[in-house]
Amino acid sequence: MTRSQAGTSNDAPETVQAAPPVRRNRLRAIVDIPEFGVVAACVLVFVVVTILQPRFANASNLQVIGLDLANYGILTIGAGIVILTSGIDLSPGSVVALCSMVSAYLNVNVGVPVGLCIIISIVIGMIIGYLHGWFVTRLDVPPFAITLVTLTAAAGGALALTSGQPVSGVSFSYQDLTLSKVAGIPVPDIIFVVVAVVAWILMERTYIGRQIYAVGGNQEAARLAGIPVKRRLMLTYVISGACAGLVAVLVIGRVGVGDPSIGNGWELDAIAGAVIGGVSLYGGEGRIVGMVFGILLLMMINNALIVLNVNPYYQQVALGLVLGVAIVADRIRARSRGQARPRGIPIFGAGGSKQAGKPTPAA
Amino acid sequence: MTESAASHVSQGNADGVSLRRVSKTYGLATVLQLDELTFRNGEVTGLVGENGAGKSTMLGILAGTVAPDAGGDVVINGDSVHPGSPIASQAAGVAMVSQEFPLVGQLSVAENLTLGMRPEGKGFFFSRKSVAAVARGMLKRVSLDIDPHAPVSTLSIPARQLLEVAKALGRNPKLLILDEPTSALGPVEADLVISIAREHAANGGAVIFVGHRLEEVREAADRVVVLRNGRLVADMPVADATDDRLIKEMVGREHLATVTADHSGLARSAPVFAAEDLTAVGLGPVSLSVSEGEVLGVAGLMGAGRSRLMHTIFGAIPRTGGTMTLAGAAYAPRNAGHAVEAGVALVPEDRKQQSILPDAPVRWNVTLATLRRLTRGGFFSPKAERNRAKEFTSRTGARFASIEQPIGSLSGGNQQRVIFGKWFAAEPKLLLLDEPTRGVDVGAKAEIYGLIDEARARGMAVIVASSELEELFHLSDQIVVLRHGRIGRVLAKDQFSKEQVLLTASGVKEIP
Repeated sequence: MTRSQAGTSNDAPETVQAAPPVRRNRLRAIVDIPEFGVVAACVLVFVVVTILQPRFANASNLQVIGLDLANYGILTIGAGIVILTSGIDLSPGSVVALCSMVSAYLNVNVGVPVGLCIIISIVIGMIIGYLHGWFVTRLDVPPFAITLVTLTAAAGGALALTSGQPVSGVSFSYQDLTLSKVAGIPVPDIIFVVVAVVAWILMERTYIGRQIYAVGGNQEAARLAGIPVKRRLMLTYVISGACAGLVAVLVIGRVGVGDPSIGNGWELDAIAGAVIGGVSLYGGEGRIVGMVFGILLLMMINNALIVLNVNPYYQQVALGLVLGVAIVADRIRARSRGQARPRGIPIFGAGGSKQAGKPTPAA
Repeated sequence: MTESAASHVSQGNADGVSLRRVSKTYGLATVLQLDELTFRNGEVTGLVGENGAGKSTMLGILAGTVAPDAGGDVVINGDSVHPGSPIASQAAGVAMVSQEFPLVGQLSVAENLTLGMRPEGKGFFFSRKSVAAVARGMLKRVSLDIDPHAPVSTLSIPARQLLEVAKALGRNPKLLILDEPTSALGPVEADLVISIAREHAANGGAVIFVGHRLEEVREAADRVVVLRNGRLVADMPVADATDDRLIKEMVGREHLATVTADHSGLARSAPVFAAEDLTAVGLGPVSLSVSEGEVLGVAGLMGAGRSRLMHTIFGAIPRTGGTMTLAGAAYAPRNAGHAVEAGVALVPEDRKQQSILPDAPVRWNVTLATLRRLTRGGFFSPKAERNRAKEFTSRTGARFASIEQPIGSLSGGNQQRVIFGKWFAAEPKLLLLDEPTRGVDVGAKAEIYGLIDEARARGMAVIVASSELEELFHLSDQIVVLRHGRIGRVLAKDQFSKEQVLLTASGVKEIP
C-alpha cells in the first residue's frame, strides 16, 4: 500500500519510485510482515509432523510442548528485549538454577510460604539484572562479558547452596501452580501469555518501549534526542532477570524438587528463539510476536524430533540448522531492503563501547 | 606502492580516465547513462549535480564498488578496467575519498593509513616504527599534525576527513576522486584540500572534485561537468561556470529565487537564551545571548569548539562552570533529556551517527523526542502517533513514499527535513543547529533555509554553527567567531565579511 504523500508531485528526482499498482499488493503486504516466515514455519511443522505421527497433536503431547514453551518462552522474551538494545544476556539459565534453589531452600528449610518464595525468586532475578545493567552502563563492561560472569557464578552458587544436592520436600503449592490446567491449558502457559501481552504492550504501546528500540537502533541519536539511555538499558536487564526469576518458580513445580543443575544451557535456546523470531543481534529490530513464534517453532521441532524417534544426536544438529536458516534468512531480508550490514561485532558492541567510536565534537 | 609509483611516472601518452557508453539501471530506473566522459590527466574536473543526479553511481563505477550495465567501458590511460571490482580499480590507480569515513576506529592513525599496504622487506611482520614513519610522511602531505599512534576514534570529524585524503594520496593514484571532501571542513582546511587537488593534477594525475559549494569547485577545477538525472548535461571550462549557469544546469530550470534574509523589521526583544561565562572541557568562558526570532551564527575553524558549544548548551557535554538562562528562568541541564524538556533542541552535525535511527521508519524518527508527550498514562495510540508524524513531516516538506519507510532510504535533504520535523514537534524555545546543511544538495539547502526562517517566525531563538561562511552570512543576524573555545569577536550584520571572520578565527587579528 503505497500512500502518495502530499508534495510528491514536486519534480524532485530524489523521490522514491512508487510501486506499480498491482492487485497482489495485499498478499505482498502479508509476506512482507517480518514474522511471516516464522509463523508459516510453525504451521508447516505442525501440519507435516501431525501427518507423519498423529500422536504429535494429542492433547497430552501438546501439554508437554506447552510446559516447555512456558519456561523457554518467558526466558526468550526477557533475553529478546536485551538483544533489542544490541546487548546480550547469557545468564538466564543459571539465574533459573540459583533462584529455584534459593526459593526451594527457603521453603523447605526456613519454612517461608510459597507466595513469598515466588516474590523472593523474582526479586533476586531483578537484582542480578540490575547489577548487569549497572556494570554495562556505568563501567562500560560489555554485556557479553558481565553476563558470562553470572552464567558461571550463579550456576556455581546454585550448586554450592546444598553441595549439589537437590532440595526435596517442597510445598505442593509449587506443583499446584505448574501442573494445574484451565480448560486443558497448563497454567504456566497462561502466565507465559500474560507475560507476552505485557511485554507487547510495553514495547509497542509505551514510550519506554519505543525508547528501548531507539537505544538499540542508534544509541548516540537516542541520547541526543533526550532519551535516558542508561536507565533504558538498565531496565532491559532487570526485565530479563525478572523473567528468569519467574521461570525458576515454575520449574520447581515441574520437577518437584529444587534442582541445582536445572536451566543449564537454557539461555542459548532463549536467544535462539528470539533470533529465529526475527530479533536482530545488531539491535533495534524484532518484535514480541516474533519472539513468541520463534520459541514456539523451536519447541515444536524439539518435540517433533523426539516423537518421530530421531536419533538424539541428530536433534542437536537439526536445531542448529534451524537457527542457521533463521539468521541467514534475516540477513537476506535485510539486504533485499537495501540495508547495509551494521558495523561492529553485535554482541560486543553494546553498552558504552558504541560511544567509544563516536567522534569527539570538535576536540 | 612502488609499483604504482613507477607506472605513474611512465604514464605515456594515454589521455586519462574515460567512461564510454557506461550506464546503470536498477530495475526500471536508469540512474546513469553516459556516452563518453573523460577525466584528463593534468586536470581537475569539477563534478556537480543535485542528489540523485547520478554522481555517486558514476564515482562508484570508477571505484569499482558499483557494477555498471554490460556493454560499457572504463578505460584508464588506454587500458580497459574490469568493471565492478574495487580491487581492479585500485590496482588500476583509482583512489577515492568518500563522504563517509571507512576508517577503523580502534586502530591508530598510522595503522589506518597503511591498511592494505604491504610494508617492504619485512616478510610477514611489520615494525611499528616504520609504519609510523610512513604515516608521518603521509600526514605531512595534508599538513595534519597529529600523533600517528592516536586511535582514529579520538579524532574530530575534520581530522578524519583529512586522514582520508592522506590515505588516498598515499596510494599515488592516477585518478584521485574527492567526493565532497570539504563538506566537513572549515575554510582553511578546505583551501588545503583544494591545493592538494591542484598539485596532484599539476603532477600529471587526473582529479575529480565533487562539491556542493560551487565557489570551491570553481577554485579547484579547470573544467566543470554537470550531471542531471543520470546524464551529462554540461561540460564547460571553469571560466564559464558561473553560479547561475551551474545551478540552472543542475536544477534544469531557472535559478530558484534565493530566500532573502531580511529580518530587519524584527526588534531586538529580551533574550530567550543567555549564557554567562559558560565553560566546559575545551570551551569557554563563553557569554552570548539570543532573542526571540533571532539567528546567532557561530563561526570558527575546525577544532575551535563550535560543536562543543552546541553540545554544552544542550547538556550533552558536562558544563564545568557558568550559568545559563532560558526564557527568564535558570537553565542547568544535566543531560539532553533535561534540555529537551526545558525547550531546547539540537540538530547535530553527523546525521547518520547522531540524529537518525537509520533502519526505523520515518514515523519513529519524527516522534522520537516527543513520544512521551503523546502518551496518556504511559500509553500512546498508534493512530495519534501516525497523525502527528504526518503533520510534522508535511510541515517540513519531507518527501517519501510511506511514513513506514526506513529513514535511511531517504536522501540526505529529506532526512534532515524529518529531523527538523522531530524538533518542530517539540516546540523548542531555542533551536541549536550544527552544520544543518551538511551533505544536502542545493535545492534542499534552500528549503532548509526556509525551515530556519519558519523556526524564527514561530518565535524560536536559533543558534547555527556552520563552516560555510556564506551560509552564516545568509542566515544570521549576528555572528560570533570562536577561536580556541572562546569568542574572538562578535560581528553585527553590517560587519559580515569573510576577511573579518577568517582573520579572527585564525588569530591573525587580536581581540578588539
